[in-house]
Amino acid sequence: MQLSYDFPADTSVLEKIGKLVIQIGQKAGFNDVEISDLQLVLVEVCTNAIVHGLKNDSEKNFQVIFDWETGKIEIFVHEAGEPFDPLSLKDPNIAVPLDKRQSSGYGLYFLHKLMDEADFRIGKDGVKTWRILKRKKIEETKDTP
Amino acid sequence: MKITEQITDNITIINLDGRLDAHTCESVEAFFREKMENGQYKFVMNMENVEFIDSAGLRVVLVVARDLRNKHKGDLHFALLQPAVSRVFEISGLNNVLYIYNNSENAVQGFSS
Repeated sequence: MQLSYDFPADTSVLEKIGKLVIQIGQKAGFNDVEISDLQLVLVEVCTNAIVHGLKNDSEKNFQVIFDWETGKIEIFVHEAGEPFDPLSLKDPNIAVPLDKRQSSGYGLYFLHKLMDEADFRIGKDGVKTWRILKRKKIEETKDTP
Repeated sequence: MKITEQITDNITIINLDGRLDAHTCESVEAFFREKMENGQYKFVMNMENVEFIDSAGLRVVLVVARDLRNKHKGDLHFALLQPAVSRVFEISGLNNVLYIYNNSENAVQGFSS
């Protein structure tokens, strides 16, 4: 099943996007942890589109497409704002003490860590597209005596 | 984001209610900065009613905690992390560098130990 939404480039839409992920995640049979992982990553991607791509210009829109079936959710985020390369950020080193921690870069780190597939491309028309995909983990069943 | 506070033994307990994301993090950081300008350097952040945090929210707690420790000999303790928030702290490794307690009373007492 597929659903498409256009949102204005305003961070106030993030809560609504989060609620959509919860609804769709439940329909696709995901558990609470999987849904919260997907919500976190989609909010990061949309925040990038709003803040870095569209510069918080609420007159401009970005598009989110949810494509799901039981056990699998694929999401596309399309945005045609300012050029930027989200892949240029280094992942933070999470093993260092607080005073040596970098304060940015966690969004992309979550994306790499929590999604089964993720890719980013810029079309010839300048439209930037993120694709993220998450599959439900097959839960191990315990052998009963 | 709704923010309320109470002061116990010179320690400010901040109660947050809402999402800590790119939409709300500026107001939360501004709240802390104002308190720090007034000389308050020991805080407990009660997260009982925060069900979501993203990297923008993490950045705020990270820089505020770091400033409190490094510049003011204070700290920011956390209480009652909800499951989704606790998971983000664990994935980002912040649970290893911040003090996290199971309730606000213990988080306050943590400043004495």
